[in-house]
Parts: sequence; structure tokens; C-alpha cells
Amino acid sequence: MAAAAGSGVVVPRSFRLLEELEEGQKGGGDGTVSWGLADDDDMMLTHWNGMIIGPAKTVYEGRIYSLKIDCGHRYPEYPPMVRFVNKINLTGVNSSTGVVDLKSVSALSRWKNSYNIKMVLQELRQHMMMKENSRLSQPPEGQVYSN
Amino acid sequence: MAEQGAADLGNNNNNKPEASEGTIIKVTVKTPKDKEEIAIAEDASVTQFKEEISKRFKAKQDQLVLIFAGKILKDGDSLSQHGIKDGLTVHLVIKTAHKAADGSSTSASSSTSTQAGNSSASSPAANPAPTTVPTGSGQAPTQTPNIMSGFGDLASLAGLGMGSANFMELQQQMQRQLMSNPEMLSQIMENPLVQNMMSNPDLMRQMIMANPQMQQLMERNPEISHMLNNPELMRQTMELARNPAMMQEMMRNQDRALSNLESIPGGYNALRRMYTDIQEPMFSAAREQVSFGSNPFSALGGNSDSGAQPSRTENREPLPNPWGPPNSSNPSESGGGTTGSTSTSGTTNPSVSNPLGVNPASLGNGMFNSPGMQSLLQQISENPQLMQNMLSAPYMRSMMQSLAQNPELASQVMMNNPLFSGNPQLQEQFRSQLPIFLQQMQNPEALSVMTNPRAMQALMQIQQGLQTLQTEAPGLMPSLMTGGIPGVPTGGAVPAENPASSPSSAATNPAQQQLMQQMLQMFAGGGGSGGGNGTSQTPEVRFQTQLDQLNAMGFINREANLQALIATGGDINAAIERLLGSQPS
Repeated sequence: MAAAAGSGVVVPRSFRLLEELEEGQKGGGDGTVSWGLADDDDMMLTHWNGMIIGPAKTVYEGRIYSLKIDCGHRYPEYPPMVRFVNKINLTGVNSSTGVVDLKSVSALSRWKNSYNIKMVLQELRQHMMMKENSRLSQPPEGQVYSN
Repeated sequence: MAEQGAADLGNNNNNKPEASEGTIIKVTVKTPKDKEEIAIAEDASVTQFKEEISKRFKAKQDQLVLIFAGKILKDGDSLSQHGIKDGLTVHLVIKTAHKAADGSSTSASSSTSTQAGNSSASSPAANPAPTTVPTGSGQAPTQTPNIMSGFGDLASLAGLGMGSANFMELQQQMQRQLMSNPEMLSQIMENPLVQNMMSNPDLMRQMIMANPQMQQLMERNPEISHMLNNPELMRQTMELARNPAMMQEMMRNQDRALSNLESIPGGYNALRRMYTDIQEPMFSAAREQVSFGSNPFSALGGNSDSGAQPSRTENREPLPNPWGPPNSSNPSESGGGTTGSTSTSGTTNPSVSNPLGVNPASLGNGMFNSPGMQSLLQQISENPQLMQNMLSAPYMRSMMQSLAQNPELASQVMMNNPLFSGNPQLQEQFRSQLPIFLQQMQNPEALSVMTNPRAMQALMQIQQGLQTLQTEAPGLMPSLMTGGIPGVPTGGAVPAENPASSPSSAATNPAQQQLMQQMLQMFAGGGGSGGGNGTSQTPEVRFQTQLDQLNAMGFINREANLQALIATGGDINAAIERLLGSQPS
């Protein structure tokens, strides 16, 4: 995956997503994030599930946040649409819809085509650990956004 | 991928799943701390899987949360339903009652969190000067709008969330005031409330981010957001903003460094690139806030393509002599070629140092007539402070000094200046005039004239007058341009003394004098062609003797004689040659 970006070759979307699918199934990352295809029949590999485990020593600890990630047809040139399923109080996340504004996460504000879903999830997790976020009061567990 | 594995499981594993019908698959179960491989039947349910896990991990089943491919595995599901196959990994979270968790899997990431904390500690400043620091020569006037954006938000904060419309106006007003009154700026900075705010980095950052222009800016140019996030830079900037003396010093250093940079081959281009990349968005963002002040030159007529560039870069062109058309400095030789040179030299781009885009040779020429120029002149006369700010910006002084000291550098700068690169004729002209320009720049009187609003108005009037002339007596203009008899008395009987001319006539360089004389002549000639103004000497009067001689020789065409005489400055022989040359036979 990284090799493709390094050699300057533009990897087509489907290849990228298949790679990410494989990595998600093999448990990429350090166990704090997980991702996978939402629907196995999704031939376009657009709709993904993501999971972030709330980081320790923050107000998100112990919680597991589910996300929906949509990789549009211009992914990876364009960032995916990310939104939380579980209610969360986090900067950059719309408090009524759960949609994440990637620009408010500093590491993602400038999207590169080498970024991937894993990175989105990991950076969101880091974002939770930032001072401004780590102590925001959270809604009770188990609530989800209505849409 | 891993599907073949299912078939060849030499299964010594004693962890026998219940449904022995299915094949056994090995699934890795991963917690942040731990990793175990668990064999289970392919068609087992999640519950069964959890049973196995709880044994292995010594945890209660209901504490286990399994995640695969971003989905939580519910007890009622089966593994195959989720596509869990041999060799794949499932994430495990062991929930504990206490928050000081163990397997809650995140302790591993605590080390990374400290790093994240450091990198994101953002202490912004109201003044995005750091980005302009390399672009240096902070246009002093334009920095204030940026500061104001911070203050604008400050005002809104203080105003307890009042309607934004009000505060936009307030903000703009404050900006204008600040621009015209630098003391106000320092007053504001000294206000302890402000200092308090500025020392609170998070607040500053939020203020900046909240400003929609900044957001736009950040979108367009992500470097700026990196800059905002860089704590060191932020702190430094805040210090600078607090301490105007320090800021000036810093700017001066920048200017020195920059002028050194200019002399490196290719350095100018790099700088230019830097400016366009960084400064352009800042400038346009700032411009959106301030009505016209910061960047009125960008849209001036004549050279729309490169017009934007010089106004945004540090001033690279030496101040041209506003009253001298050194380009046509040798009137006798330029003769007919003058129109050509005036048209090429008419392409002087407006720049910060040359706000009128004053092209010395093009008095009354096309560029002045452009509508943009007109409005600019209007604006300038309305807002004399603008000129003052521009010219008093420290970068100008230092640049001019350095250029004056090093004429070679100046010529190099000129040559490298892409504005002139396509125009060798212009280059030549400027090159020859370089020393004069440098002197001119040093001439504080010249500067004071440029800052003097009345002088600017007078210049405008001159220009307008010339325009009228051009329309009234088109034939007169070219001949006037070629005039310039050294012998014509400067003081003369010419009425049109304008304040602009006096300082430059005080200057000792010959080109200026020549132009001065030209101008005087023009007025004289204008007076003459306007119907015989008694107080001015028309060329006819002056050349009376010569005209008579020409008549006697047989050159009957008085008009042509007059023209030739004017062109040659009263030199009969040359005039004769001209006349002969123009005749077909």
C-alpha cells in the first residue's frame, strides 16, 4: 500500500479499497480501531463500518464508537464521508447528525491520497485524546444519532 | 485469500468446538495488550466464540466485546455471518466496571497521546505574521487588517455574541482607524486585557480559526494551518505582536536577509514564488476585509497579467523619476523613435513603490488614462495616509538604501525582474537610468512629494491637462516630447509652476532638468496652441529667426518648418535635413 504511493503510481480506487478491506479483516492497527465493509454485497466498496475504542484517560474511555464511512467514487483522491453512529461530544462532530468534519482534525485537514480509512480512524482517536476534547462531557452510552 | 486454510487443518487442537460438522478455523483474537489464536468451528456462533475467549483470556463472557471489520459481534450472530474466516483477526475489548481499565485496550496508546498533545499545542497569534515573515517586508498596512481580524473576533467575544453584522462594521472601522493611526495599534496592544488574551494560546487559536476569512485562507493554503499549529512559531509571533519594537527589528532583519537573497542567482524567483504562494492568499484575505487599502494596485490597467505580481512582492523596482522621462533622455536622437519608446516605456507596472505606476516617459500616455489608474489616483488623493503608509514602511527604506549602495545589485534586480524580461528595450532604458533612479530614491524630497496629497493632486491635474491636450492637439504631443532645448530658460515665462516640479528641479541631474524643460515647453506650447496666451513663448516666437531663415532658403511650408525646428530644438541644419528627409523627392 505504502509502496504504491511511494513509487508515484496512482492506485485505482478499487485496488485501494480491496487492500483496505483485507487489512481490516486481518486486524490492522493496534487493536484500537477496526474497519470493514458494511455490506458484503457492496460491489463498489463504498460503505464501510468503523470502530473506535475510546482511549484511556479520557472521557471516552471504555466506550466503543461505531462509525459509518462512505468512500465516494473519487476516493482516495477525495476524503471519505465519516460519521459517528454512537452519540459523541467531540469537536468537529456535528452534534445532531454525528457527521465528522475532517477539516477540524488537524491531521486530516489536508487530505492526501495516501491516507486511508485506518488513518482516519486512528486520527479521530488521537483527536479524542487532545486536551480540548478529552474532557468534554459525553452523552450517556448507548445513544445513537437518529439518522 | 485465507479460504484454503479451512480445508487443511491438521487439527491437533484440543479446544474442540461443539459443532464438529464445520471445519475449524483459527481466528486471532487481539487486544491491545494481547493476542491469542483461537480455533473455532467455522459455523460457530458468536456466543460460542466468546466462551472460548473467556476461557483463554480469563474474563467473563459478558465483559467481552468483539469487533470485526468495524462491526460489533452480537451474541446471536454467527461467525460466518460476519465473514470471519481462518486467519483473520478479531478485536477484543474487555470491559471492566472500573474506568481505570485493563483490557480496555487503550493503555497502549497513552504513550502516543503525549506526543499528540505536544504537536497539537497550538498557540496562535492574532497576527499571522510568521507566514509573512519570510515574505518579510510586512506591508505594515496590511498587517493591521490581519491583526484586526483577531481583534474583530476579540470584539465579538467581548460583545458576548452579538449579531455579527454589527461587528463586521465595527471591525472594518477599527481596521481603517488602525491603518491610519499606528499609535492606536500600540495602545491596543498595551491594553492588559488584550495582553491577557494574547497570552492564552488556545483562545487565540480559536479566535483565529473562528474567523471565516482565516478559515478560507486555511483551506486555500494549508501551510497556514500548520503555522497556526506550530507552537513555537505562535509564541514567537505573539511576542512580536506585543512588542512593536521587536517586530520592527525583526522586519528589518528580514529585509536585510531578503535583499541578500535577491543577489543570489535565481533567488529572486524563489522569493517571488514564496510570495505568491504565501503572501497572495494572505493578501487577498486581508483585502477582503479592508475596503481597498491594502492592494489597490492589483487591478490597474495596462498590464493586467503581471499587474498583480509586483504589488504583492516586496518592492523590487526602484522608484522611477516621476517627473523625468529618462527613457527619452536624449531627445535629439530619439526623434521619431520616441513614440515607440514611450509606448514601450508605457508598460511600467504599477507597484508598491510606484503606486501611480508613474511611468516617467508616458506623461499623458495610455496607461495613465486607464480607468484603473484614474480610480487609483482618486483613492490616493482621498486617502493620503495610504501613500504615507506605503512609503514609510520600513522595508522600502532599507530596500532603497541597499539598492543605492549597490548599483550592481540594483541592476541585477532589474534584469531579473520578470516584468522586464520580455522587454529588452525597457531594460536598456532602465539600466541607463539606474543611477538617476537611485539618486532619485534617495531624494527625500521626492518621497515627500509622493506622500504629499496635494502634490499627488497636482500631478493628477497635470495628467488630466495633458490628456486634454492630447485630444485637442494631437499633433502637438509627439513633438513636445521630443523637445527639450537646454537653452530654454527654466524659470522662463511659464506660468504653470507646479509644486511637484520644484523639488525635482532642485535636483541636479540633467535628465530631470531636461524633462522639466520639456514640460515647461509643453505648457508653453499648449498655451500657444490654445490661442496665443500672451505670457508664454510659443515655439513660433522662439524660432522666429530660424523660421525666417528657412523661408528664405525656400522652405515654404511653415508648419513643417516649425515642426522640424521644434524637433531639432532650433538647430537649422538638422531641421533642414529633417525637412529634406521627409520630402519624397
